[in-house]
Amino acid sequence: MNAWFERFKFDGRRLILRNFSFQFFSIVMPAGFYLLFTKVMVTGNVPDSFNVKYMGSMIVYSGTINALFGIAAFLQRDREAGVLQWCWLSPAGIRPYYLSIGCWSLLMNMLSVVVLGGIAIGVNGVSLSVAQWGAIAGIAILGQLSTMLLGVLMSFVERTETLSVLSNLITFPMAIISGLWWPIALLPNWLQPIGKLMPTYFINDWLGRVATHGTMVPADILGTGAWMISLLLVVIVSVRLLLKRSDGVVWA
Amino acid sequence: MKPIVQATQLQFGYGTHAVLKDVTLSIYPGEIIGLIGENGAGKTTLLNLMLGLFPANHGQLQLFGQQPGAPIAKQKIGAMRQNDMVIRGVTVQEVLYLAAAQYPEALNVTTILKSLDLTAIAKQRLTALSGGQLRRVTFALALIGNPDLLFLDEPTVGMDTNAQQAFWRRIQQLKAAGKTIVITSHYLPEIQAVADRICLLRNGKIAFQGTFQALQQQYQQVEITCQTALPVSSFKDLPGVTAVTKTGPQLQISSEAGDATLQALAPILADLHQLTINRESLTDIFVHLTKGVLA
Repeated sequence: MNAWFERFKFDGRRLILRNFSFQFFSIVMPAGFYLLFTKVMVTGNVPDSFNVKYMGSMIVYSGTINALFGIAAFLQRDREAGVLQWCWLSPAGIRPYYLSIGCWSLLMNMLSVVVLGGIAIGVNGVSLSVAQWGAIAGIAILGQLSTMLLGVLMSFVERTETLSVLSNLITFPMAIISGLWWPIALLPNWLQPIGKLMPTYFINDWLGRVATHGTMVPADILGTGAWMISLLLVVIVSVRLLLKRSDGVVWA
Repeated sequence: MKPIVQATQLQFGYGTHAVLKDVTLSIYPGEIIGLIGENGAGKTTLLNLMLGLFPANHGQLQLFGQQPGAPIAKQKIGAMRQNDMVIRGVTVQEVLYLAAAQYPEALNVTTILKSLDLTAIAKQRLTALSGGQLRRVTFALALIGNPDLLFLDEPTVGMDTNAQQAFWRRIQQLKAAGKTIVITSHYLPEIQAVADRICLLRNGKIAFQGTFQALQQQYQQVEITCQTALPVSSFKDLPGVTAVTKTGPQLQISSEAGDATLQALAPILADLHQLTINRESLTDIFVHLTKGVLA
């Protein structure tokens, strides 16, 4: 327990407290976008439903940035610095390491719920029940698991430059076509079905329904579950393949 | 005595390129093994196999009676790898506290900071340290778990002279405490000074393993200098002698069979003054052994 707690403290310091860019891109930027698109770049009265839905979108966007930029780069940097190898050589192995990073990623996601929820309540006058807020937090965590697994998978890319390109190529198109930045109905007809298959779409839709109507549809739950299980399997297979490679790429 | 590391006919390679070929090696408790060889001879690969980072393609390897990488073996091992970990956003003492928490019988962090002269930089970030300071932190990380077996891969690279001397003093203390140490280094005088046994790897094979004295016996090149009134012709036909030069009374004899030459000199010892015998150092023998490969 002491080993785990030290690990958790250690990762919290370097991943969150002393990592301003991670805080900025995961929390400040989505919060800024939320204010921009609900207060600054609007005319007249914005419907409450838009304020609520857009809050959900920015929560998902925050989690996506957190996982696909922050966590993926962090894990890759650790691998290059020999941290992963060092953890593996310790008696506890690498599981506590991944668990600790995962917990911090989820906590950051919860922080984004608090910050964006705070802005929604304080600035935009959004009013939701306690049950709705609880559901939003739970769904955000579930959604974060999928994107986090995708981030872990991306961290196996060998070169930093490749990861950077990959993060941009995946995150922004995925955010756009799954309707995080603007409603999916505004996209071309041929693109909408593709957007509706993205993991971020399922979570965003699920959050939006819970926040606006207090309802949910099975498609969102199934879609999220399917992405989570598929990515988990791919991560497990990838780790095993990398560990089997005798050139030690996984250890860098 | 039972070895704590037993490698039998280890083979390892990348695709068709064989890095280690039939390496058989036993390491006993309390000894210091100097693992030497040219670049690419397979030293680091052998360490990596012992650490369990990669599995061997063939052969058997056990540490403390366990497979490499087994949790019990990991608890008893400390490793100082060639590359230092530069973790962003954390200080020296923070990384040491984390490391200490991972081992059941870890040393006290404050004690290790003091003993390795790291107290002054304990609150500095790892990213702000010099190469030599980082190396010392890496050494501290290898020691923090209070291991019985230490693997040190090029430990003194980047350290200044004072730090190197402190490092070797610490190695002697660890030996006195009964720790087993495997060191790879290109600074052969260091290895010669501390190693109980030397394991010379050449092209992935063990070319020699044993004490330095035994290695010297195999490579008996000596340089003998003295002052004498005897003529050069008295020495030219002595066994093993390859060259004799004389400048005034100063005589220099080169021999490739030191013991035989010295035995032959015994009857005329009274005529030889200020006699000095220089046997080959580990560096000389290493160069001698590997020059054919490097040429």
